[in-house]
Amino acid sequence: MRKVFLTLGACAVVAGMAVGAVAAIGSAAPGPHERSLGPTMKPDTGAGELLLVVLGGVYETRQEAEAANAGMTFGDVQGYYVVPLAQFQGFREQLGSPGDFALVSVFRTEEGAAEFAAAAQMFGHPATILPTRVRSLGGLYAGLGQEAAPDGSGPLMAPIPDSLP
Amino acid sequence: MGSSEHPRERRRRRQLAVTVVSAVLVLVPLTLGWHWAKAGWRDWHYNYPATPTGYTQIVNRFGQPCNADASAISMPWTASDNNQTYSPRFHKKLGGYPTEMVPNKGGRSTNLDNDVYGHIQNDHVGQYAKSGIWGYFCRTIKGTSTWSTHAWGIAIDISAAYEPQGSCRSTVNRNFAYVFRNHGWRWGLDFCDPMHFQYAFGY
Repeated sequence: MRKVFLTLGACAVVAGMAVGAVAAIGSAAPGPHERSLGPTMKPDTGAGELLLVVLGGVYETRQEAEAANAGMTFGDVQGYYVVPLAQFQGFREQLGSPGDFALVSVFRTEEGAAEFAAAAQMFGHPATILPTRVRSLGGLYAGLGQEAAPDGSGPLMAPIPDSLP
Repeated sequence: MGSSEHPRERRRRRQLAVTVVSAVLVLVPLTLGWHWAKAGWRDWHYNYPATPTGYTQIVNRFGQPCNADASAISMPWTASDNNQTYSPRFHKKLGGYPTEMVPNKGGRSTNLDNDVYGHIQNDHVGQYAKSGIWGYFCRTIKGTSTWSTHAWGIAIDISAAYEPQGSCRSTVNRNFAYVFRNHGWRWGLDFCDPMHFQYAFGY
């Protein structure tokens, strides 16, 4: 009797290992519907740089700003980011409206800002390019780096002469 | 039994069959010719790049995100519901090659602007392409910090107003999704984004 139990136990262990191995191989092989995304971008705040702001709105509280942002869809891509106005020097001075939080996306080049503003308007969202560059004091990520480099090589991930103080 | 059929009746039947076959032989090419001429379109299937799988292959085939080629070509596409003509931009390798339908835009293949678009029009399913049509956009995927396939100009959103992201069912795009699939594209419905078509797998 004991021999039978031992044999059954051994069989169960072997079967379990086999199932585990098959499952491991199965999970390692990418299925047709799996998405393996590329490397993540480093969140560049452009601290100290002079940046162009595309403004989507100003709100009293972060909650209001988050709620407004959730309602502004840009298809499957990221649109605006919620930031406190204090994150940029010279920001509040240009707005002249109450509120401490804004929906923004920031850029180093005028082409990048104009392209985003045009897209936002096409999606039916407000988009104003502030006339004067603001100085980034660091803080939260606000979309920097999501514009084409002027030489056409890829995304612009470094300061340019216009963005340097 | 059959031999009891009257010869005149047999001749009449043969004449009818010949007439029908002749009519088909004449009318089918004429109809097809008229159809093509009307649409100004011929399917070329010229120089398609292989559809990449995963990030590395996308970069190897189409370059860095937001590079100059990613937005090099544009095409007019009029939405059927609001008659607005959109100008989605896309990668140089996915279209812009001169054809009857497309002026020379310096592109390298006939994929999107001639073959996919032409098939959709020719199959009379263009009526299902509704407002909200765009291609290249140098942005990350919503809520992430990884590049969207739009940043390479290898994705196009169609009928965005009718096909919200997150919906795992399609309302209008299902009527022409087969055309994209037959030309190397993946439909975003696979990951509950029915407005989205991308020329890449595993991403």
